[in-house]
Parts: sequence; structure tokens; C-alpha cells
Amino acid sequence: MTPQEKEAFSYAAPADLRACITGELRKADLSATESVRPSSRFFYVALGLAWAASLVFVAGLSSLQSVADPVMQQVVSSHVRSMMAEHLTDVDSSDRHTVKPWFGGKLDFSPQVEDLSAEGFPLVGGRLDYVASRPVAALVYRRQQHTINLFIWPSSGAATRPRLHMQQGYQVFDWSKDGMQYWLISDLNASELQMMAERLRGQ
Amino acid sequence: MAEREIETTLLPHLDSAYNLARWLSRSEDDAKDITQEAFARALRFFPSLKGSAKPWLLSIVRNTFYTSIEQNRRTQHEPFDEEQHGAADDALGPELLSMRNADVVRMRSAVEALPAEYREAIVLRELEGFSYAEIAEITGVPIGTVMSRISRARAKAETLLRRGGK
Repeated sequence: MTPQEKEAFSYAAPADLRACITGELRKADLSATESVRPSSRFFYVALGLAWAASLVFVAGLSSLQSVADPVMQQVVSSHVRSMMAEHLTDVDSSDRHTVKPWFGGKLDFSPQVEDLSAEGFPLVGGRLDYVASRPVAALVYRRQQHTINLFIWPSSGAATRPRLHMQQGYQVFDWSKDGMQYWLISDLNASELQMMAERLRGQ
Repeated sequence: MAEREIETTLLPHLDSAYNLARWLSRSEDDAKDITQEAFARALRFFPSLKGSAKPWLLSIVRNTFYTSIEQNRRTQHEPFDEEQHGAADDALGPELLSMRNADVVRMRSAVEALPAEYREAIVLRELEGFSYAEIAEITGVPIGTVMSRISRARAKAETLLRRGGK
């Protein structure tokens, strides 16, 4: 058949059909390129969930309580801030008989200040801090190059043994005793910090 | 891996798809519906497209057509008596070759009078220029069947044309 004959016998797609199908095909191309993004978005969401799940798992392994404990979060923030702002102490003294009276009149309680220099945790000083919606005592100790913050405030809860938490790379112990809440935090390794916690609690 | 763009892959074959649908259905409205449905199927199965798009798309068109007549039963299927119309020559007959525009309408009705299998074979061969092997691929029948269908389609069309012309 000649091209003319082919043309004479061939039906061309009507304009309305062509317009309709062209639109469908373009829409498919658009959604095909867009479908790449939602799937990778889904991938990152899944990755984030897996990461969060692994955190919870690690937290569970370390016998931690709630990751999102707001008080612990404040303790960590306070610890970090104390080192960043170069406002570690309000009173510089390794003498607990200097530090303990310094809190007098600044707090509505009198924190126990222990001298642990014999165990290798020399006292650096103390400062006022604000945690859990109240002014608290912060005692600063050192172990080699590691700074340790001990937060103390009154609490009505029952006495508890030191529990280890990990938060943002810091080891945190909390316990209560004799109507006081204690939070001990440092980047020091957990076993040495636990030793200190148990010594402070008086075991 | 570069994804094939659907529009640039399929749209160039829209006229061929419609042409086949039009010849098979013998109605403009049906041809539009079939073409639209065929493209919808093509979109669904696009990821499975491996080779050349045109024969792939046209096989979807004809499948869509046969599905639609089975569902609607609005197009009657005339059985073609192969024994009666057995003799045919492989070349185009003189009537087809010497066709002038005035004959186109008659020729069309002659081809439209053919059974669907013959219509699709001759449209694919003469209008779309596919090889016998490609037509066998598209229609899913052996190549020998394609060859005999085309030659018988030509013979029958010429017979019908002669009869109509008298």
C-alpha cells in the first residue's frame, strides 16, 4: 500500500480522545516521579521509628525508666548548662563546711554535703539551680577530668535505691532517702558513678 | 536506573491504537472507549513493558476489544469458513493496488465485513506495517495462521469489493 492509501484507510485518534489520554499519561508520569519521594519519605520515617525503637530497647536493657521523664531531662539540661556557661559553682570550695552553710538562707532546706575526696571524688563547690519547678542545691564533684553534678531537693516520695538512666550520653542515677530526692549525673562511666551514688546514699 | 517516561513511550502510538480499535469495533464511539480502556490497562501494566512499546500496546488494544465484545455481546462474531475461502494469493490484488479515493469507502466496508481476526491481521499488516512474526506475537497465534488469515482476508475483501461494485 502506498502512504496515501494507508492514510486513506487509517483512522486518526479524535482530538477529544487524544486530549483525554494525553492528560492521563502526564498524570501517570507526574505521580511516578512523585511516588519516589513518598516512598523515601516513608523509608526515613521507618528508619526513625526503628531508631526510636532501638533507643527504647537499649533503655529497657539498661533498666531505665521513662526516657521522657521531664525531671531527668531538666537534670541533664542543667548539668550541660553548668559546664557550658562556665557557671559551675556559686561557691568554690572543697570544704563541705564552707559549702553547706553557703546554702543556708538561699534554700528552704539544708542539703547534706559529703566529703568524698578519700574515695577520689573531690568536692569542687556548690551552686543554686532550678529543677522540677523549684530551687535546688547542686553540688559539684570531680573525678579526674569528669564533672559530676549532684542535685538535691526535698521530696515526699518513699526511699528508693539508685537507679541508672542513660540520657544524651550521660549516666544518671536517681534515688531518694530521708525525704530528699537525689540526682547524680556525669559523663563518668556508670560503675564509678554507681560507686559514688552508693557511697552518698550511705551503704 | 532511568524509568521510561509513560507519555513519550505510549503517546506516539495513540493513532495506531485507535486505528486498530476503530477497525475492530467498526464504530467511532466503541473505538474511543476501547482505546481509553486499553491505555488505562497499559498504565497499569506499564512496569511490565520490556521491549518495543507499539506491539505491546496494540496487543492490549485487541485484548481490550475481545474482552469488551465478550462482556457486552454487542458485536456478533461471524465465523469465517476457511474451506470456502481457502484460495488466495499472497500479493495485494489489483483492486487494492489501483485504488482511487473514490473506492476507499467501498473498500472500507469490504474490510469491515471481514471477521475480526481477519480485520486485525490485515490492519496490522497493511496499515501498521508489522511483520508476520510481529503480528503472530501481538495476536498470540502461530505465524502460519497469521499468513493464511492475511491472504484470505485479501481474497475475501476483493471478493466483497467485486460483489459490491457490481
